[in-house]
Amino acid sequence: MKFAFIDAITELTPGERIVAVKAVTLAEDYFADHFPTFPVLPGVLMLQAMVESAGWLVRHTLDFAPIVILLREARNVTYKSFVRPGQLLRLEVTCRRLSESDSDFSGIGYCDRMEVVKGRFSLRHVSVTDQERQGRSTADRIVKEARARFALFLRRRDGVPCAVVDAPSQDSLT
Amino acid sequence: MDSDRDDVFSKIQNVLSDALGVDTEEVVSDATLQGDLGAESIDFLDIVFRLEKAFSIKIPRGELFPDDILNNPEYLDGDRITASGLVKLKEALPHTDLTEFEKSPDVSKMADLFTVDTILKYVEGRLAAA
Amino acid sequence: MSWIWIDHFVEFASGRRASAVKMVTASEGYLQELPSGDPVLPAVLMIEGMAQTAGILVGEARGFAENVILAKIRCARFDDYAKPGDRLRYDAVIDSLDDRAGVTSGTVFKNEAPIGQVDLIFSHINPADRSLDLPDHNFVFTESFMSLLATFRNHGVEKVEQPGAG
Repeated sequence: MKFAFIDAITELTPGERIVAVKAVTLAEDYFADHFPTFPVLPGVLMLQAMVESAGWLVRHTLDFAPIVILLREARNVTYKSFVRPGQLLRLEVTCRRLSESDSDFSGIGYCDRMEVVKGRFSLRHVSVTDQERQGRSTADRIVKEARARFALFLRRRDGVPCAVVDAPSQDSLT
Repeated sequence: MDSDRDDVFSKIQNVLSDALGVDTEEVVSDATLQGDLGAESIDFLDIVFRLEKAFSIKIPRGELFPDDILNNPEYLDGDRITASGLVKLKEALPHTDLTEFEKSPDVSKMADLFTVDTILKYVEGRLAAA
Repeated sequence: MSWIWIDHFVEFASGRRASAVKMVTASEGYLQELPSGDPVLPAVLMIEGMAQTAGILVGEARGFAENVILAKIRCARFDDYAKPGDRLRYDAVIDSLDDRAGVTSGTVFKNEAPIGQVDLIFSHINPADRSLDLPDHNFVFTESFMSLLATFRNHGVEKVEQPGAG
């Protein structure tokens, strides 16, 4: 099963900011356990949605050089409200620092304009230069699939393509 | 035991920086915990826990942040704090000027009263009494 | 798909600390692919494993009287990740506990080597509190979670110590 916790990207400023959304529906498997009489989106999945949003910003900004993006650290992630099936979670994620090998972000999640989660996190990027030769074809396939999925995300819910702001100059990347 | 005020302030800066994820430079004396530094209600608990560890003190519930005022119906009248609640608040924040707040004592604005200085004065008071 | 991210307890000292194990296998759903071909368990699911270990520890200490809800991840840091065949262990300790909240810290081990640290704060929500728009019963400690504790106690691997002992 694909680990995919965002559904669409609605805004993207390379190296700076990304806004993505995740629809929440009772058909998602974990609600059976979390919780049977009161289904709510697990807090760590709200964090995962922010992490994935940040990951797509990293991939796009670095032209898909990183093959895999892993969460290294999360700090001061506070949960203010429950997110229930039938809601749309909007993640606004801001890049604080970005290099080839890692990045720092802060993010806020909203439901119906109300803050439900906020926090800071750092990612580590695993790129093709790090890999053994036998990993190459797997790496290429992962990148190809990532590019295809990113293209699908770049739409608003009403079908209008997401506007991607022009990439910043190299100077603005640390 | 720390008697140097700068040292105490520096420790408080580190506590708030760790608890709230802000840079220590932002933790200035008159910064409000909620408005300026972005503290959520759960963060107040984290701050108390970290202060206890940093200064080896035990902070009884409601002594630093008088949240018992929010939970006691005697002190609340709808969205506003009652006269007896204000008396309680003054006891809890002896060094804070409440004249502006008293004009319109909305519960939602209570958090604006808690500044970095509130914590500094509390900790200094505890250390002096030790 | 289940949302139980620990397999069983290996230690449980009531009110103090608990340790739970999770095996990682290729046939479970949420794995993240790496170029080497080996998938890894995403870090957030290690956070969840610790949250479930610590959450049950905190809940049990108060007789499961309240709904124990994750309110804050103070810090979660990982130096390594788990692949299929690896054995994860979550060691959780209660740092502070009262009727409003529980503060826990914990270390994540992979095959007995430390790979991460997860420090959490849980809020306690009393089902009797009708001011919040929440169910009037304990919805967190479901049969699935309670059976983890029951299994541990039945096996008698390590007796559940009462507070004040040891």
